Amino acid sequence: MSKNEKVDVVVVGTGAASSVYAALLAESGKSVVMLEKGNARKLDDLYSSQTWARRLKWATPHMMEESKDSIWYNFNAGHGYGGAAIHHYAVWPRYHPEDMKELSLYGKGLDWPFEYDVLRPFYDQIQSDVGMSGDAEKEIWRPAGDPYPLPPVLQSNHGTVLAKGFAALDQPTSPIPMAILSRPYKGRDACIWDGWCDAGCPTGALANPLVVFIPRALKAGAVMKSDCQVTRVLTDSKGERASGVEYFDSKGERHEQHADVVVLGAFTIENPRILLNSATDKHKDGLANSSGTVGKYIMSHPAVTAFGMFDEDTENYLGATGGQLLTQHRYPKEEGAFGSQQWEIALALKPNDLLGIAMSRADLFGNDLHKFMKEGSRSMTSMVAVIEDLPQAENRIELSDKKDKYGMPLALAKHTWHDETRKLFHATAKEGLEIVKAAGAKEAWHSPPGGQHIMGGTIMGSDPTSSVTNENAQCHDVPNLVLGGGGVFPTSSCVNSTYTIHAMAMKSAQHLAKNWSAIVK
Amino acid sequence: MTLSRREFVKKGSLSLSFALAGSHILLSPAEAHAKKIPFSVLTKDEVKTLESVCEILLSGATESGVAHFVDHQLGSDPNDSLLVLKYFGFPPPYTDFYRPVLAALKQLSQSMFSLDIQSLDEKQGREFIEAMRDKNPPDWKAPPAPLAYLALRNDAVDVVYGTPEGFKKLGVPYMEHILPPEGWS
Repeated sequence: MSKNEKVDVVVVGTGAASSVYAALLAESGKSVVMLEKGNARKLDDLYSSQTWARRLKWATPHMMEESKDSIWYNFNAGHGYGGAAIHHYAVWPRYHPEDMKELSLYGKGLDWPFEYDVLRPFYDQIQSDVGMSGDAEKEIWRPAGDPYPLPPVLQSNHGTVLAKGFAALDQPTSPIPMAILSRPYKGRDACIWDGWCDAGCPTGALANPLVVFIPRALKAGAVMKSDCQVTRVLTDSKGERASGVEYFDSKGERHEQHADVVVLGAFTIENPRILLNSATDKHKDGLANSSGTVGKYIMSHPAVTAFGMFDEDTENYLGATGGQLLTQHRYPKEEGAFGSQQWEIALALKPNDLLGIAMSRADLFGNDLHKFMKEGSRSMTSMVAVIEDLPQAENRIELSDKKDKYGMPLALAKHTWHDETRKLFHATAKEGLEIVKAAGAKEAWHSPPGGQHIMGGTIMGSDPTSSVTNENAQCHDVPNLVLGGGGVFPTSSCVNSTYTIHAMAMKSAQHLAKNWSAIVK
Repeated sequence: MTLSRREFVKKGSLSLSFALAGSHILLSPAEAHAKKIPFSVLTKDEVKTLESVCEILLSGATESGVAHFVDHQLGSDPNDSLLVLKYFGFPPPYTDFYRPVLAALKQLSQSMFSLDIQSLDEKQGREFIEAMRDKNPPDWKAPPAPLAYLALRNDAVDVVYGTPEGFKKLGVPYMEHILPPEGWS
């Protein structure tokens, strides 16, 4: 076992939240070490290929699943520097005020420990830091916020064709808000609309962690280490404060990294897994778990993709993987089945992989598949609906009986949609076909259910008896242990989580920096 | 294995490192097939089954090197694997998937037609795939047949259409991030 030199902050993970914590705390003068479970990666490794894109995902199991409705871990998680955000699509809408007061307003879901106005300045700062593209005025549903610093992303005929369908059904659309540069910004080049976002963007146009916050962290002196599997958070003799983490390197050697503050940003599934595995005689049910809430309220957005085949050339190879247009027309939660819903419209298509042209008609093979590939490459459209997943305590992460090579129990996920969510999914799938047909498609079909954006499991709240962290993501039981990522979200809304993960991490990191002495006392 | 950007673009997006005469060379799966590079994991019989099934699923898969692609990946670190199977939650090692699946497919063809898969005519080939696409056929002793269908079909699509050459066949510009210094080789 080796004991590394003690630092001010150890950050577990290198993804969306972790990179923000590392950058802001290093820039505030703290010594920071980041520990990444996966491998080292640089922008030059991000090849333009859907096949090579699979290197950005895990294969070795970290999670077993006994879910009726899968949370889609393998597709959502990330492997290596940048974590899951290295392959995220940079669709960055904001949570709405009502998402954060769901229990108070509707008697369903949960409340956040603060309201939208508290998070708004962090959304504004983040969009300025990374360079977001969009048209705030055309997003008539958008909560209060500064205008985007850059004009909207590209709209090809793909978006134009589908917009006709929404217009025919009186559903307004807007340019989709994206953390992708439509113009050069702060020394980074603009996007060339090549549709390779899922493979990881090496040009710097898409604000993945390797582009913005990891370089800032490293410039400010943070140290980043790969192949470090963190297995436990260590505590002092009284069990009241985190003292560091235990990790294993790629050779299987055990290490301890001690720090004044521990930030766990190891992804939504790994954070509760590590906390539950950190049980001691002082914390028999796992660390930071006096409420019994660690692992509970796991959420994953149900998603359905609606496809159409048209007579015209849709230019579906152009643009960004996350789409060109957005509608949140069906955001109001009490219209039909409870919950919000949005459509991301005109996703750039590639021939292969899970979201590719071939997979959209998985039933076809042989000459039928060849014919479909040729027609689909020219004339297909694609749009995906993201649907709110209501938080339920029964949807949870536990520790499995199965263990990894370090002897650490795997996570075990149990997740079933709420009845309202299931109704909303089916209504949305039906609506998708209506929209595509209204756009003039000669054929319309939709995908089976998918899952995006895993959240919850270590929710924040005002009441220490029913939540894991406070409003600044500090664990109620262990104030110098901070949880980064979507795991702290008490509700899922229907919007992509990465923007809010950044904003929440910035809020929490600034709080840590400003109140450092009190927190590390 | 690490490719430079220039090597990657020049060789096509599925260039892999193959051992030949004591050294390692970069080849696309199609080139590896044409050069008859020896297989490292799959047996001759398994290669024949894999190529025959993938050829029914998407003609051109054999020539595009599907067997070399899969064989190469089965010999790689699973976390670096390029196989679509890693999305479907099947735990590595992936030989525990391919080996029983290929054996079960060979057996299925025999039980349905008393023929090897490569001897099936077009109609028989269609019936063969339809027998395993949506449910396990009788006496299927392997990971779920529909999963096998999805994985092998995706392997075929990867090598036939997931490359710069495949995009060209579809009339779609590849639009890699960094323009190649010369045309695709």
